[in-house]
This record gives sequence, C-alpha cells and structure tokens, in this order.
Amino acid sequence: MKRRSFVKGLITASAGSVIASPWVARKAFAAAHSDTVKLGCLFSSSGTMANIEGRLNYVARMAAEELNAKGGVLGKMVEVVTTDPGSDWPLYAQLGRQLIQQEGVAATFGCWTSVSRKSVLPVVEQNDALLYYPLHFEGEENSKNVVYLNSPPSSSVLPAVEYLMSEEGGSAKRFFMLGSDYVWPRTINQQLKGYWASKGIEADAWREEYVPVGHSNFQTLINEIRAFADQPGGQPVVILTVVGNSIPDFFREYVNQGISAFDVPVLGLDALEADFEGLDTTALVGHLNCWAYLQNAPGARNQEFLSAWANYVNANGVPYRPDVAIDPMVSTYDGVHLWALAAEKAGSFDVPAVREASAGLTFACPSGYEISMTAENTYVKRGVFIGSLNESQGFDILWQSPDTPDPVPFSPYMNA
Amino acid sequence: MPFRFLRLQGFLAAAILLLATLVALPAAAQDRADIVAEICSGDFAAQQSALSRLAGAGVEAGSEGALWARRIVEAFEGRSLRCGDGLAVIDTPDGPLRASTLEPAEGVDTSTLSAPSVNLRLRAVAASAGAVLRLFTEESVAARAEAAAYVDRRREALTPEILAAAVERETDAALRDTLSTLRASLLLADPDPVNRIAAIEAIAQDATLRNRTAIAEALAGETDAAVLAAGEKAMAGIDRTLALGKVLATLYSGASYASVLFLAALGLAIIFGLMGVINLAQGELIMIGAYAAWFTQEAIRAALPGLLDYYLILAIPVSFLAAALVGLLMEVLVIRRLYDRPLMTLLATWAISLLLINTVRVTVGSQNLEFYQPAYVSGGFPVLGDFIMTSNRLFAIAVALFAFIAVVILLRRSLFGMNVRAVTQNRAMAGAAGIDTRRTDMMAFALGSGLAGLAGLALSPLYNVNPGMGTGFIVDSFMVVVLGGVGSLVGAIVAALGIGQINVVIEPIYGAVAAKVLVLLLVIVFIQWRPEGLFAPKGRR
Amino acid sequence: MAKIQSDARVDRPLLFRIVAICLLALIVAVPLLGGPLSGSALGLTPYLANIIGQIATFALLALALDLIWGFGGILSLGHGLFFAMGGYLIAMHMLKAGYVYGGVTPDIMTFMGWTELPAYWFGFESFPYAFVLILLVPGLVAFLYGWMSFRSRVSGVYFAIITQALTYVAMLLMYRNDTGFGGNNGMTGFSTLLGVPVGAPGMVTGLATASLVVLLLAFLACGALMRSPFGRLLIAIRDDEARLRFLGYDTLWPKLAAWCLSGVLAAIAGALYVPQVGIINPRLLAPEVSIEIAVWVALGGRGALSGAVIGAIIISALKFWLTGFVPEAWPFILAGVVLVVVTLLPNGLLDLKPQRLLAPLRRNRKPAPEPAE
Repeated sequence: MKRRSFVKGLITASAGSVIASPWVARKAFAAAHSDTVKLGCLFSSSGTMANIEGRLNYVARMAAEELNAKGGVLGKMVEVVTTDPGSDWPLYAQLGRQLIQQEGVAATFGCWTSVSRKSVLPVVEQNDALLYYPLHFEGEENSKNVVYLNSPPSSSVLPAVEYLMSEEGGSAKRFFMLGSDYVWPRTINQQLKGYWASKGIEADAWREEYVPVGHSNFQTLINEIRAFADQPGGQPVVILTVVGNSIPDFFREYVNQGISAFDVPVLGLDALEADFEGLDTTALVGHLNCWAYLQNAPGARNQEFLSAWANYVNANGVPYRPDVAIDPMVSTYDGVHLWALAAEKAGSFDVPAVREASAGLTFACPSGYEISMTAENTYVKRGVFIGSLNESQGFDILWQSPDTPDPVPFSPYMNA
Repeated sequence: MPFRFLRLQGFLAAAILLLATLVALPAAAQDRADIVAEICSGDFAAQQSALSRLAGAGVEAGSEGALWARRIVEAFEGRSLRCGDGLAVIDTPDGPLRASTLEPAEGVDTSTLSAPSVNLRLRAVAASAGAVLRLFTEESVAARAEAAAYVDRRREALTPEILAAAVERETDAALRDTLSTLRASLLLADPDPVNRIAAIEAIAQDATLRNRTAIAEALAGETDAAVLAAGEKAMAGIDRTLALGKVLATLYSGASYASVLFLAALGLAIIFGLMGVINLAQGELIMIGAYAAWFTQEAIRAALPGLLDYYLILAIPVSFLAAALVGLLMEVLVIRRLYDRPLMTLLATWAISLLLINTVRVTVGSQNLEFYQPAYVSGGFPVLGDFIMTSNRLFAIAVALFAFIAVVILLRRSLFGMNVRAVTQNRAMAGAAGIDTRRTDMMAFALGSGLAGLAGLALSPLYNVNPGMGTGFIVDSFMVVVLGGVGSLVGAIVAALGIGQINVVIEPIYGAVAAKVLVLLLVIVFIQWRPEGLFAPKGRR
Repeated sequence: MAKIQSDARVDRPLLFRIVAICLLALIVAVPLLGGPLSGSALGLTPYLANIIGQIATFALLALALDLIWGFGGILSLGHGLFFAMGGYLIAMHMLKAGYVYGGVTPDIMTFMGWTELPAYWFGFESFPYAFVLILLVPGLVAFLYGWMSFRSRVSGVYFAIITQALTYVAMLLMYRNDTGFGGNNGMTGFSTLLGVPVGAPGMVTGLATASLVVLLLAFLACGALMRSPFGRLLIAIRDDEARLRFLGYDTLWPKLAAWCLSGVLAAIAGALYVPQVGIINPRLLAPEVSIEIAVWVALGGRGALSGAVIGAIIISALKFWLTGFVPEAWPFILAGVVLVVVTLLPNGLLDLKPQRLLAPLRRNRKPAPEPAE
C-alpha cells in the first residue's frame, strides 16, 4: 500500500509541476515587458565542444555589460540568458525553442558546429526570430533569420589558398585535403576542387581524405601525406579541415614523422590558438590558418578588446584564459554590438524591424576592419587574415586583406 | 642523413644567384648596407636574393664577413631585425644595434620600426642560409656536423661553390667526406656526365621517394646513355628499399595500434575473465592514469626539475597505483554488491564513468593537458626508405610489452596469480579449496584497474589528455577481449595484433571509417560463429 | 542456482491501471489545453506540449526495451539503433515529400552536389510506403541479428556489448556523408508531415497527442501480451532458459519474436520523436544514448511495464528540467541515481518501500534474476 501511495504521490507531484510551469512561463513573459531586454546564448559549456565553445557565453555577457554601461539599448538594460546545450545537437533546437518561446529573447547568439546551426534553423524560422551565428562556415545557406557574422569560404578560404599558390606563399602546386567527415570540410573541399579546376589545375594534383570526427590515429594518413609530397609535380600543401581534438593529434604525429612547415605547410582552416594549448609549437612554426580575426591583429581597437576580455576574465573568475582571444569570440562580440546598433536604429526590438535596420550597419571590429552588414542579405563583410603559427602557440599575421571582401553565400565553384 | 633531397628549381635559382654574386663581391660597407636595405624592402624577390648573397658571404667575405652575415640572417629569422625609414637595427636585450655595422644605434626608438615580414618561403631560405653560415663560423666539429646535416635537408641557399669552399676549409676528415658527397649530389644538372652520374649515385645512397623523384625528374631531359643507365639502376635500387620500407612501416603502424588496443584491453581481460564483469569505466581509469602522470610531471617540475626528463618513468608506479586505488574503491563500494547481476554492473560502471569524467572536468577543467615531451617520446628515427619509427609509439609498444611480461610473470609465478587462475577456471572449486575468492576478486579488480592506469601513462604522448579521453576505448577493447577469448592474455595480444594489422591494411584503401567498421563487423560476425573467442578458455563458467 | 520467481511482475494491476488512466487523462488534456483552452489559466504552451510529446516517445522506447530486458532477460545496449532507424526513415519521408511536393531541396543534395537523391530514397514521398518501411526495416534487422545471436546462444553481457558495438558501427557509418543520410548534420529542415506544414499551430499538440495515444495503445497491448501464454513463456525463459530447453521448449522463437517486437516498437518511438525535435543525426546512435535507455528501465523497474514508463518519464522530465538551470549538476545527479538504484533497489523504484530504506543492506531481497551464463 505504501508503495502505491508513493507512486501516487509522485504522479501528483509531476502533474503539479506540469500545471505550475505555464505560470512560470507567464512570469518570464511579464519580465520581458519590464525594463530589461533579453538576449539568449546557445553555446555548450559541457560535452565535446565545451572547451572552445563555452567561452562565447562570457563574451556575450561582456558585450552586454559594455552596452549596459552606456545606458543599455533603447533605455532598457540588456540581460543575457545562457543555456547549456551540452554539445547535443537536438538539444540546441530544444533550448532555442525555450529561449524564444518561454524567455522571449530579442535575439539569440549561438552555435559553433554547422549541425547545431542546422538544428536551430527551423526553430528560428518558424518563430521568425534572429540567430547571430559567429563561426566561419561552409556557406550554401541564406536564411533571413540568421545573421552570419563570419565568412563563408569565398571570403576566407579562397583568399588563403590563393596566397599559398602565389610565389610569395610558396607556389603551391599540389594539395592534400584532409578533413573530418562532415558537411563543412566536404563543402569546402568541393568548392576548392571547383576553384582549382577553373584555374586549369589537373585532378591528379589533389587528393581528398576524410576521417571520422574525433579521429586520433593519424599514422597511416601522415605516411600517405609524405608519399604524396615526395612525388613529382611541385610544392605540396595540406589543406586541413579536421576539427576539434583531431587537430592537436594530427600535428603531433606530423612533427614526430619529421615533416616541417618548410617541406609541406599545413593550412589548418579550423586551427585556432586554443587548439594548440597543450602542444609544444616550436617544431610547428610556420603552419598556417585563416580567420577574420587573429589575436595579433594590429590596432588600438584590438588592444582595447583584449584588455577588456582580460579584465572581464579576472573580475568574474571566468574559467578560460585571459590572454587568449579567438575569432568566434570577436564575432560574438561584434554580433551583440551589431544587434544593439540595429535595435537603436529601428527604435524597436521587433525582429522584422531589427532585421530591416541591420542593412548597411557598420561597426569597428577589434580586427581593425570597419565591418559592415550587407544590404541584400544578412551576411557581414569582414577582413581576412592569414596567420603563421609561432613558438608561443599564437599566430603571426602573414597577410591580411586590403579591405573587406563581399561575402558570397552560394559559391560558383560548388558544382563546377 | 635523414630527408636527403634535391630540388631542381632550387639548384637553378642558386646557380643564377651565384652568377650574380660573382659580379658583385660584397665586402665594402656599402654592400652590407645594400643587402640590409634589400632585406628590409619587403619585396619578396629582393629579400630572397639578399639572403642568398648572405649565404655566400662565407665564401667571399672571410670569417668576419661570415659572422656578420650570420648575425643578420639569425636576426631576420628570429624577427629581431627592425626596419623603417631607411633605418635597420637589430633589437637586442642590451639595446639596438645598427644592422650594417653592428654598432650601437643610440637614440633609435625601435617601437617605431617594424620587423620585415617572414613568409614561409623566406623562412626556409633563411634557415638554410643560417645553417650554411654556421658551417663556416662554428668552432666545434660537432656543431659543424650538425649544420651539415641541416643543410642536407634544407638546401635552399646551398650551391656547389659554397660547398666546395666548405670542403676546402674543413679540417675534420669525416665531415669533409660528408660535405663532398653532399656537393656531388648537387651536380645533377652539371654539364659533365661524370658529375651527373656521381650526383645520382650520391643521391641514391639515401633511398627515399623524394630522392627517387629528384632522379626521375633529372632523367626526364637526359640524353647521355651512361647517365640514363646509372639513373635507372639507382631508381631500381631505391624502389626495392622503398617497398621493403613500406612493408615495415605498415607492420609498425599495425603494431603500434595493437599496442594501444592491448594496453587498453589488458586490464579488462583480467577483470572480465575472472569475474565476468564488464567495466564500462575502464576508459576512465585510463584517463585517471594519464592525469596521474600529469600530476607527477607537475610535481617533479616543481620539486626536482633535473629529473623532468624521466617523469614518464617515475610516473609508472603513480599512474598504476592511482588507477588501482580508484578501482579498489569501485570494487568495494559498488561492484561486489552486484556479483550475481552482471548486467547491472554494466549500468553501475557506466554511472561511475560518468561520475569520474565530470569530477575531473569540474576539478581540473576540460582543456587538453600540456605534457612535456622528453626526447624519448618525440620525433622519430628514419629506418629504411621512407619508414620512420616514431618514438612516442615505440614507447607505447615498450610499455605494452613490459605490462604483458609483468602480468604473465605475476599470474604464473605468484600465489596471487595462482589464486586468480584458479578462480577464473572454477570459482566454486577454488572457493572449496580454501581460496578467498572475494579477496582475489578485489585484488584482481585493482590490478586490472592499475593496468588501465598504466595504459593512460603510455598513451599520454600519443593522445590528447582530457576528461573525455577514455570514452572511445571501451568498444574496441571489449572486441579485443572477446575475440581473443575471455581470460586469455595470449589471446588478447593476438587479437590486438590482428585487429591492429587489419585496420592498418584496410585504412589506406577504404579510409579510416571503413577500416574501423569492417573490423568491428568482422569481430561481431566472428563472435556469432565462435562465441568463446580465438583461444577458448579452459574454465567452466 | 535455479531461481524460482513466483511473483512474475507483469501486473501490479493497480499501478498498471493508474498509469493507463493517467495516460488517458493526458490524451484528453493535451489537445484541449494546447488547443482551444491554451489561453486559459491551465493552458499549455507549445513548448510544454512538445516536451510532453517527446517524453511520451521516450516512454514508448523504454517500454520496448523492457519487453526484451525485463521479460526476456536480454539486455540490449543498442536500442538507440532501432530508435534512430525509425527516426531516419520518417525524416527521409518528410524530406522527400517536401522535395517532391513542396520543392524544398534537402541540404544533403546541396553539399554532396547531387542533382537527385540516391535510388534507395525511391518512393519515400509516400507516407504509407515510409510507414511500412518503419515497421519492416527495423524488424528485419532485429530478426537477422537476433536469429544469428540467439542461435549461437550469445547472451548476457556479451549480447549487451555486441549490440552496443553494432550501434557504434551504425554510428560510424551514418557519420559518413557518402552513405547518403546526411552524415554528421543528419536531416533537418522538415517542411511538411502528412500534408500539414510543420510550423502549423496544431502540429505540436497533434504530434504530442499522437505520441501519447501510441504509447497508451502499446502499453495496453504489451500488458495483454505479457499476461498471455507467450508472455509466461518469455518470463520462464528469462528465469531459467536451460531448464526450459530440457523440458523440450524451443526457446529461440519466443526470444526472437519478443526481440523483433521490441525493435519495431523502438522504431515507432523514433518515428514519433524526430518530427517533434525537427532533427535527426547520428548522435542518437552514440553508446551513451542507448545506455541511458537502459537506465530508464532499470530505474523504473525492469519486468514491470509501468515501471519502465515511469522511469523514462521521471528521468527525462528531470533532465529537461535540470539541464535548463543546473546543467553542470545533471551528470552527477544521473550517476548518483543510477548507483543508488543498482546497489540499493535491485528492481528499481518499484522496490521503494519505507522499511527497505531503513534497512538498505538487508540481504533477503530478491532481485529479478539474470540468465545464468
């Protein structure tokens, strides 16, 4: 009998909580109409992405504090609601729904991987919400509900590959594409192949290999890279699109097999300062990456940003390094400010109005470029940097674009 | 002499540059100023030619000139050269020096100057030029030999003339021979067929694909029959070595992957063989072992920095004991309550793995740990052809062998080992014969856990060490255990070698994913056909 | 060690009825509160309705696993495989239907550079065809694998780990882009289901109600089945398979039938789940997802259908609730709950009696037996 009564109690309790929840929701709704405006964050602070993605939550908060210090947006204080999707893709959609429907956020900042963005995309489209997405990505998407803060391949990867093919960049003639097996690497490699074909480069000048996400044993593949490099036909390079923990694993084996950046430079498209924490980079000096921001970007604006981040980390006990800043952090930071500018211009937090006001906005990005939102879609024009890995796990700037190239969402090389 | 290679275009460029340098002999101060100005110009071609002229300074400018050139090259490479406004200084801790004279540059504010950009190509030329100049300026034979080995790999700034001068000046007989061979190998495009044949033979001494390509490219325009014959013969020889090297490389890759599998599976094999319990937290015990190694490293770094190179050896007992202790606690607190419910043990050990991962994540953080890599786990040795034996994997193989031998001795020669074997074969009979089976279980569980910790230590130079590092091991290591036959150590080692080798053979053909999928499917089907594994256990369970 | 289990816990008749009645009440309440009454004091937001729908599919999944583990004594750590199969099949239907009738090009075609979908996508625009496949494909896979394993008498821990390895293999395969199922991105961007736009107002409550209805039907049907002679036979196999074989029973077919039924039910759960979350990707095939399913069942109590349903509801509701505001604590809570349950409550929450809590170490509990190995 007692057992039954327990179970009954349990059922009553859960029914009670179900009934109570709408009340909680309404309370949240009421809060949205008070003197604050909410921004949502959808970045994982647990799971496989936690180490790199989690820091973006704090950058969004830092940017919101900057806004609040200047009196908020449209007279309202900005409140950042963070969630933890735990690197679990369906959970991004779930929590996105919660932020938009329950919390009533004015805009959402979130996602690192393409798949997490694809997961949230239907949610923001169905609710006509705004998602600010801070990563460079594969392009081939143009939703009016997503602000693409970072570059599609046309304005990040292609300039870097062009540089490698120039005389100054080493006259690269042959390409070994190695990627994690998912959309971003595949799309980029597809576009690169189209690009090379358009330059008259024969198909035997490249090779394409994929490893599972999270792959760690690169012995065989690096043997093959060596064999590929030693064949005739000109300077070889590796276009590396493996992600996450595969990056340090790859480089460790690369060094141990005695290949230096002089022999076969690696263009690590997803390689960030944070990926080399834990590696001795003296033997890796000279490998390349390309982003719309590098920590060594010149200019006072960058120094301002770096010291703001260091202060924020130290003041709030943030569990990330105060002296490392990566591109997606800056993109998130830009995103919060671009949203605020748009809301001020529109005089409203309504998504259609904010979207309309966004066209043509400019912002002084820490990268040193005056970045601007395009008028015809929700992309952002950013500058491009090519970095060269140095001894202290950072990237020196080898080359940077003279201006901010136009982002091209749909690559002409895709099906070439 | 590793990585010997030759690049034709490099040679041609060098030959052209030699002509240029013969015309303009840089000895005067004006020449130095010109060279510095070229390096500062930011123009890629000018920078490149300036670097080549600097490399030639040893031949032409006497040793004082060589020392100056070396200073400039090193400053350029190390980005301590600062240029701007017709001014070039070397930034040193004691203040800036004028680049062309090396005199103190007083009143120069270096913060207004910038370092000339060093792209990959220039960096390579600068590294090569630096090594060439070391050949001319170093006092000790060892340092010159090291420089010779370096220019052998990095020939961007090298010309036959420079080497001829170096041979001339060299006092050490062995090094002179090395340099002569090196010089001979540069003459692949020499007008004299005799020199070309000598070059081919010199190159072929080091049988790598890169050298084969160099010979093949040189032969493409060759008309001299004798040279062609020599080239064909050299290439055939290289091909034989390469083929053998490739077989060895595949075997080594397979063995190294097998050592990883075996290390991960060894502890599991003992525990599962003895108790029929699957420990899903085995991967996390590996993680604990790796973290223990890291803490040992930090402790040694703080207390006995002189012993830092040996931390991996000193950490062996620490990693073993740390994981064994965690295992012991698991056994006492949870596992022993679940002896007749093995399926529940699965869930319980899974919960423990979740707990361990998240405890480490919360206390230490989720980032990859930075491990110091002593010489014996970094780099590799070229063995034959293009086969390079990487040290970190050799270390893992050595630890796997050590663990295997230690466990075999423990099980065959000790009382505890006898008890374990007895309980594995027939628990009831062993109990009746007076063996404390519960205690044996406990000790064996701790042993199996400790071995996982040892695996963590051995894998730390190979893998990223972070809280989630262990999750990938469980399916693979269980496959090794069941394929080998429950409770059979020899089975485990054979299964690990088999899986490792098949994987390595399939991977280049169908890719890493397909290799893994095929191997797993193979094992799954095999188990349906022969559930007792390769080496059938003798016990009754 | 023959274990005689007189108390074959198919029925706790009262509990069984309470669960059934609660489900029925929800079936009535959800469409009402989420539809006409959504503006009232007790109105359901679409967000909550969606969560209720998702939890119902989890409960169905737990029910499926309980059938084979609780009653057949066979633990599968690979039920994520069947769940994902159902999910992928319905996702293929929705994408293909959106493509054929709505002109929405699936993402996979874009990034793989395909001008048409591979041949095995043929016919997926038809719902009846997709529905038949949702029953057939998982059933067939379950049959083949079960037939092989049960015939060679692979059981217990072996069976559990091999199902996990199989799921792992499927995960590796599905992560590959060239298999044509979307790789890591999986499938998303669904536009219509059964001709109704996915974003339509009634869609969320409709799917939630449908999930609840299917759950209730499956619950009642499984209850009836387990009380039937077939169910008795299955329980007997669980308790002592060797003896049953000596008595002349063929134990292969009852096990296989239960296993296939379980796989199909899990697939149906997956087919209901995916339209509600709007995405499927190989993550569902990750080993920990399948283990979590077993945790629901173990927590609620294996061998009692109501236990499985209650376990799934409690854990997933807790997860939804807690990951919202204490995400860091959730793994600790889950691990703690599992450890407490497996060490102190061998039969899950159904063991929960006050006197047990007072004397947790008492020896005379009767855990549901596992097959002798």
